[in-house]
Amino acid sequence: MRWFNIFSARLRALVGREAVIRDIDEEMRLHVEMETETNVGRGMSPADARRAALISFGNFDSVRNVAYRVRGGGMLETLLQDIRYGARVLAKHKGFTAVAVITLALGIGANTAIFSVVNELLLRPLPYRDAERLVMLWEITSEGRHQNTTSRANFRGWREQNTAFEGMAAFSDQRLTLTGDGEPEEVSVQLATPELFRVLGVEPLLGRGLTQEGERPAAPEVVLSHGFWQRRYGGDPGVVGKPVTLNGVPCTVAGVLPAGFQWHIKQRSGTGRPAEIWTVLAMPTEGSAATRGRFLSVVARLRPSVSLEQAGAEMKTIAARLEQDAPQYNKGYGTQVIPLREQFVGNVRPALLILLGAVGFVLLIACANVANLMLSRAAAREKEVALRTALGASRMRVVRQLLTESVLLALLGSVFGLLVAWWGIGALVAISPRDLVNLQGVGINLTVLGWTLAVSLLTGIIFGIAPALEATRLNLNDALKEGGQGAGGQGTRNRRLRSALVVAEVALALVLLASAGLLVKSFARLQEIDTGFNTENVLTMVVRLPDGKYKEEPQMVAFFRQATERIRALPGVRAVGTVNFLPLYGGLGSSTGFTVEGQPAPPPGEEPSTNVRVTDAGYFGAMGIPLLRGRNFTEFEANESKHVVIISESMARQHFPGEDPLGKRISVQMFEEPTPTEIVGVVGDVRYDSLIDEAQPTVYFPHPELTYPFMTLVIRTTSDPAEMSPAVRRELSAIDPDQPVSDVRTMNQVMADTVGRARFNTLLFGLFAGLATLLAAVGIFGVMNYSVTLRTREIGLRIALGAQPNRVLMLILRQGLLLTLIGIGIGLAGALALTRVMSSLLFGVDTTDPATFAVIVLLLTVVSLIACYIPARRATRIDPLLALRYE
Amino acid sequence: MTKQKADLLQGTLDMLILKAVSLGPLHGYGIIQRIRQISGEMLDVEQGSLYPALYRIEQRGWVSSKWEVNETNRRAKFYALTRAGRRQLEVEEASWDRLVLAVAKVRRAM
Repeated sequence: MRWFNIFSARLRALVGREAVIRDIDEEMRLHVEMETETNVGRGMSPADARRAALISFGNFDSVRNVAYRVRGGGMLETLLQDIRYGARVLAKHKGFTAVAVITLALGIGANTAIFSVVNELLLRPLPYRDAERLVMLWEITSEGRHQNTTSRANFRGWREQNTAFEGMAAFSDQRLTLTGDGEPEEVSVQLATPELFRVLGVEPLLGRGLTQEGERPAAPEVVLSHGFWQRRYGGDPGVVGKPVTLNGVPCTVAGVLPAGFQWHIKQRSGTGRPAEIWTVLAMPTEGSAATRGRFLSVVARLRPSVSLEQAGAEMKTIAARLEQDAPQYNKGYGTQVIPLREQFVGNVRPALLILLGAVGFVLLIACANVANLMLSRAAAREKEVALRTALGASRMRVVRQLLTESVLLALLGSVFGLLVAWWGIGALVAISPRDLVNLQGVGINLTVLGWTLAVSLLTGIIFGIAPALEATRLNLNDALKEGGQGAGGQGTRNRRLRSALVVAEVALALVLLASAGLLVKSFARLQEIDTGFNTENVLTMVVRLPDGKYKEEPQMVAFFRQATERIRALPGVRAVGTVNFLPLYGGLGSSTGFTVEGQPAPPPGEEPSTNVRVTDAGYFGAMGIPLLRGRNFTEFEANESKHVVIISESMARQHFPGEDPLGKRISVQMFEEPTPTEIVGVVGDVRYDSLIDEAQPTVYFPHPELTYPFMTLVIRTTSDPAEMSPAVRRELSAIDPDQPVSDVRTMNQVMADTVGRARFNTLLFGLFAGLATLLAAVGIFGVMNYSVTLRTREIGLRIALGAQPNRVLMLILRQGLLLTLIGIGIGLAGALALTRVMSSLLFGVDTTDPATFAVIVLLLTVVSLIACYIPARRATRIDPLLALRYE
Repeated sequence: MTKQKADLLQGTLDMLILKAVSLGPLHGYGIIQRIRQISGEMLDVEQGSLYPALYRIEQRGWVSSKWEVNETNRRAKFYALTRAGRRQLEVEEASWDRLVLAVAKVRRAM
C-alpha cells in the first residue's frame, strides 16, 4: 500500500490542498491580528485584545473546514479517500479481484481489438487530401455487372462532358518485367493518366509526377513508389533521370512519391497488389477501335459544391449520350459513382459492425458476471455498509464509494485488457484474409485508448450500479442484529437480481452461439461446393514472358511446350498443363460475345457471352476436369493453330439444347476477324469467377490459337505439391535463367484464400461465442453455488428428514435448469431477431436455420447443467447436523 | 452605548458583501468593518460566516481576490467586485427593494 500513499500524497500536493489550507489560515490569522490591533486601539491590553479577537472569531477549525469545502477541496478529497479505500478493499480480496479483472480484461480486450480495426478502416480519415470528395467512377454492364471497368473512349467522354468534377484520372494495373541495373524482377505497374496524382492530392517527393499524355510516348516516364525507390535504389537521391527498362521498353525515372502513399483499388485490379511504379497510360486518337476495350478504373474529385447525387445524375446523362453516339459499344451500359471510403471498406463494413456488436455482447456478459461477483459480496459487506450508514454517511455517499470501487476495478481490468488487445490485434492481423483490407496499420493509438477508457468507465458503472444500490438498500437494524448473515427479504431480492443477471447472460450467450453456429454451417457449405476441379496435390505458378525477349507468338508457345515437357519428366509429377487464368484467381472475369454458325445472328451488342480460357492438352488432366464427350486437344493442336475449341457442359446445355455440339462451329469475338472454330469436346463445368455463383459457360482455346505471354502452370503431383516447387523452378531456369515466376501456390491455398473472409468471420465469432459461453457458465456456477450456501439450512433439513442425495441433486439442477431455460427462451427470441443482420455473411444457410438453433440450445443446456452439477454435488454432501447449527 | 442590532435575513449576506466591495477592494476584516459602519453599527456580520460566504461568492465569479500590501504596510487578501458581481448586485438590490416595498404595503394594509 506504500506506493499508493506516496502517490496520493503527491497528487494532493499537486492539486494544492496544502496551499489552499495555508492560504485560508493566513487570511484568518491576519483577520485576527487586525481585530487585535483595533481592540488595542480601544485601550485593551495586548493579551486581552487578542483573546477577545479570537473569541469573536469563533471556532477556527470549523470555519477553516467549511471554507475549504466551499473552495472545492472537498470533492477531490472524498474521491481520493474513496479510491484509497477501494484499492485497499480490492487488495484485500485478491481472489475476487483477480477473477473480476480477468473477466473484464477479456471483455474489454476483445472490444479494444475489434474497435482498433473499426477505427482504422471505418473512422480514420483516408490518407488523401480532402478524401471525402474522392469518388470512383465505374460502369454497369448491359448484363448488370457492377463496378465494371470503362474504355478509353468513354473515359474521354466523361472527362470532357462533366461539370461535377474538379479532376478525373484513369488507371489500370499490370505486371511488367523490369530489367536494367540489378536482377530482372516482376513489378506491379499502374498505367495512369497524368492527372492521377493531382486528383489524389499528392506531391512527389523528388522530381515530378507524370506529364506525358496522348499516344504511347517513345520514351515513357515512370514515377516510383517510396518503397520501391528504397528497395531497388537504396533511396538514391539522384535517381531522377535514370533509365529503367519495362518489358523491354526503355523508360526514364521522372519522380519519386512520398513515403506512405499508396493507391490500390482491389476491385478489377489486374495485379491484385499495390503498384510500385506508375507510368503513362497511352491514349490513342479517337475513333480507333482499340479505345473501346474496357480495362480502366477511374477516380475523380467532386467539386466542393457538388453532391454525390448530382454527380451521379450527370454521369447518367453523359452515359446516355455516349450510348447514342456508339450504340455498338455502349448499349445498355450504365454508370456508378462510389465514394472512395465505400470502395475501400464497403464490403467489410457489415461484418465489422456485426463483430463490434458481438464483442459488445461479450463485454455485457463479463459485466453481468462481475456484477454477480459483487452481489455475492454484498451480503458480506452488509455490516460494513450498515456501520457507515449508522455513523451518518448518506446513501448517496456510500453508493458513490462503492461505484468508485467498481470503476477502479474496471480500470484495472482495462489495463490488462490492453494487453489482451495488443496480443489480439497481432493475432487478428495474422489471420486476416489476404483480400480483406490492409490491416497493417491497425494498432493501439490515442483514439483506441480513449475508447478503451470510455468503455471501462462505462463498464464500471454498469456492473457496479446494481450491486451498489442493492448493498445500500437495507434495514439498518436487521443488518446489525443479524451479524452479517444476509437472509430474509434482503437475501431473496439479492438472489432474484442475481438470477436475472444469469438469465441475461444465457440469453446473450445464446445469440452469439447461434450466430457462430450459422457461420460455421455456412462455412461448411462453402467447403462442400463442387467447384468442378480437384484441388488435392496441385501446384500452380505464374510465368510471365517479358515481351522484349519473346516478340513472336510461336516463341511463347514453344517456351511453354518446352516447360511442360521438362516438368512432366520430373519424378513425382503426374500431370502438367497450362492455363491463362486459374479458377478463383480473383482477377477479371472475362465475358466475351460469340455467335453460333447456322443459328440466326442476334442484333449487335446482344450476342450471348462466354468465359474464355486458354489452355493446353494437359490442363484438364492436371486440374481434374472430366472430359464428358468428344476428345481433348491433341499434342499437335496444342502446338499448332487448328481452329478447334472445347466447351463446358453448361455451354453445351444452354446453347445446344437437344443437339450434339460436337462438330458445330462458333465464332468467339476474341479476334480481329470473325474466326469460326470447331467444337471437338465437352468438359465438366468449373466455377471460374466465384465460389458461390453458378459456373458460367466457358470456351477453351488451345494456346497456339490464342497466345498469351503469361500462363499459369498447373502441376498435379503424387505427394505434397509445395515440395515440388524448387524442382519446377530449376527446370524453368534451365530453359531461361532470367525468367521469373510468381504466385507459387497450391490449389488448396487458392481455395483457402477464396474462403478466407468467411473463415475469418467464423473464427472470430466462434472465439467470441466460446468466450461468452464460458463466462455464462461461470456465472451460472457462481449463482448456483451461492444459492446452495443460502439454502444450507433448508437442504440440511431435507437430508435430515430422509431426502435421498439424488433428490437433492435434482432440486439444485432443476433450479439451475429453470434459469437456463428462461435465458434460452429470451435468447432465442433475440437471436431470431438479430441473426437477420448477418444474412450478407451467410451462404446456403437460412438465418433461422432450425437445425443450428436446436444444436445450440442443446449445447447451452448441457454446459449449464455441467456448471450446476458442481454446486449440486456439494449440496448432497451437506452434513445435516452442521447445517442445522449453521448460522 | 447600546444599539439595537438587526438580525441578518437569510440570503442578504451575499448582497451586503457585494455592496461593501462595490465601493472599492477590501480585505475580509475591512468588509465586516464597512458593513458595520454603513449600517450605522446596526449590522454585525459573524466573522465565522463571512469567509465561507466570501469564498462561495468568489467561486461564482462575483468577486476576485489578490494578495496585496495595504496602506499600513500589511499583507492582506483583497477582494474586488467583478463585472458579473456588479450585475448580480443590481439583481439582488432590485429584488430586495421589491421585497421591502411588498412588506411595507402589507404592513400598511394591516
